[in-house]
Amino acid sequence: MSQQEHVLPVPTAPAARQRTWGIRPLAPWQWSSLSIGSLLLLWWALSASGLVPALFLPSPAAVLTKLQSLVVQGYMEATLQQHLLASLQRMLLALLAAVGIGVPLGILIGVFPLLRHWLDPIIEFYRPLPPLAYLPLIVIWFGIGEVSKVLLIFLAILAPVLIATTHGVASVHSIRQQAALSLGASRGQLLRHVILPGALPDILTGIRIGLGAGWSTLVAAELIAATRGLGFMIQSAAQFLGTDIVVLGIIAIALVAFVLELGLRRLQRVLTPWHGKAL
Amino acid sequence: MSLLQVDKLTVHYPGQPLPALQQVSLGLSPDELLVALGPSGCGKSTLLNVLAGFIAPTHGTVQFDGKPVSGPGAERAVVFQNDGLLPWLDVAGNVAFGLKLQGVPAAQRAAIVADTLQQVGLADAGGKRVWELSGGMRQRVGIARALASQSRVLLMDEPFGALDAFTREQMQQLLLNVWQRSQRGVFLITHDIEEALFLATSLVLMSPGPGRIVQYLRPTFSQRFLAGESVRAIKSDPEFITLREELLASLTRTQHEEAA
Ligand SMILES: Nc1ncnc2c1ncn2[C@@H]1O[C@H](COP(=O)(O)OP(=O)(O)O)[C@@H](O)[C@H]1O
Ligand SMILES: [Mg+2]
Repeated sequence: MSQQEHVLPVPTAPAARQRTWGIRPLAPWQWSSLSIGSLLLLWWALSASGLVPALFLPSPAAVLTKLQSLVVQGYMEATLQQHLLASLQRMLLALLAAVGIGVPLGILIGVFPLLRHWLDPIIEFYRPLPPLAYLPLIVIWFGIGEVSKVLLIFLAILAPVLIATTHGVASVHSIRQQAALSLGASRGQLLRHVILPGALPDILTGIRIGLGAGWSTLVAAELIAATRGLGFMIQSAAQFLGTDIVVLGIIAIALVAFVLELGLRRLQRVLTPWHGKAL
Repeated sequence: MSLLQVDKLTVHYPGQPLPALQQVSLGLSPDELLVALGPSGCGKSTLLNVLAGFIAPTHGTVQFDGKPVSGPGAERAVVFQNDGLLPWLDVAGNVAFGLKLQGVPAAQRAAIVADTLQQVGLADAGGKRVWELSGGMRQRVGIARALASQSRVLLMDEPFGALDAFTREQMQQLLLNVWQRSQRGVFLITHDIEEALFLATSLVLMSPGPGRIVQYLRPTFSQRFLAGESVRAIKSDPEFITLREELLASLTRTQHEEAA
């Protein structure tokens, strides 16, 4: 994790003694750009050489052209932006619900360990199941509307958030709790001023992991009679062998997920700057 | 008159062959710096945890100001070896924490915090983050937090145990100065004989298996320090050295008895 960079002491050996094998050291972001760049180059080379037919792998130029038409004219009666917005809405709704339910529930479980024995089997029962496996049940129970789609994503996010919160609460140093109690903290104050902030780094990590799980459920969720959404767009395009649109959909999901992840990491650094520090 | 008092205290952890403490009686008066000295495992932390209200006695009574202790409370602030500071608060926030819990208004809080930080030599460190501090500074913050909270006694569990010898000695002097100004009872536990002799106005020597008090002493070295004598002069005084060696011999003897 990125926090580790600050934990490790910066090497203080004189620069002249550092072995670089003649390569100028690169910053982490430069390495990442290099990696993405080489992937793009490989893509371009494969399609330009004609080794792979365009049906399997359209050229970067063709995908770019398609992008323009997706943005302007759209696909399946919605522009790329509208598909994106539909998916984002579902994701955010599911995220809000998962955090709104998972965090309080996780705290309850952390504070009353007996609850854990009751809830653990339920969570551990559904958590490893592939969402596609219980998708039919959700459709039968909740119909083919938005509720089922959001519910499927919600379930994917809930488990990591709940587990991380429970773990976070349980791992708040007992010395800190004792110190607060001996300074006169009531149970409520202990929760508000010690346990919640103490569990926050874990909760945020849980949300990050949950979002990842949520994205991987999006396509499954939009199998349910959707008319908009990136997952829907990809599936419909796949039925007509619109590989260019499939590729664009994949890139769009990856980009949005990446931006959200960066935002969350940022939030984590701002909200819990002590995370990963030796204390 | 003792402010904090235990009578015939026995603590037996479930599943342990011997009680951690057996028939321990002890009183702490408001003007006293009471030190419990003993090897590790002799029940010092258990005793402190009972006084703090974290552990209930198996037998015997604990009273604060004549009333039975039923749990932790603001009148008995604890300072731990590993400070237990809250990293989401800065230094001033940590020192103000107890006052905030008690609902003291912000302006009053700020004044008390500034004064307390001054006392522990951290006047300029109020805005620092906890993880930027050295071990010694963190311990000062822990002490300041307990002092600022207006508690009536301070309970300190090997507060300088994790510090290097030099910082440790500085902190001992700081504690004596702070203690004199605050006029609060301090109960401190340590396994360091010199520390115990130098700080204590009352000293109990404890022995393991089962944990009990084997000797009471009333050293006067802290008064000499507060009257202006230097630490080095005190700790190299033949009287100090003699007592130190006696305590060491006595500790070694009880260790051997336990082994036998
Ligand atoms: N929570 C506990 N459960 C069981 N045994 C304990 C517990 N805490 C301490 N003990 C035992 O009680 C004895 C006294 O421990 P402690 O009070 O921590 O001693 P000290 O602080 O002097 O090192 C030790 O033998 C220790 O193993
Ligand atoms: Mg101990």
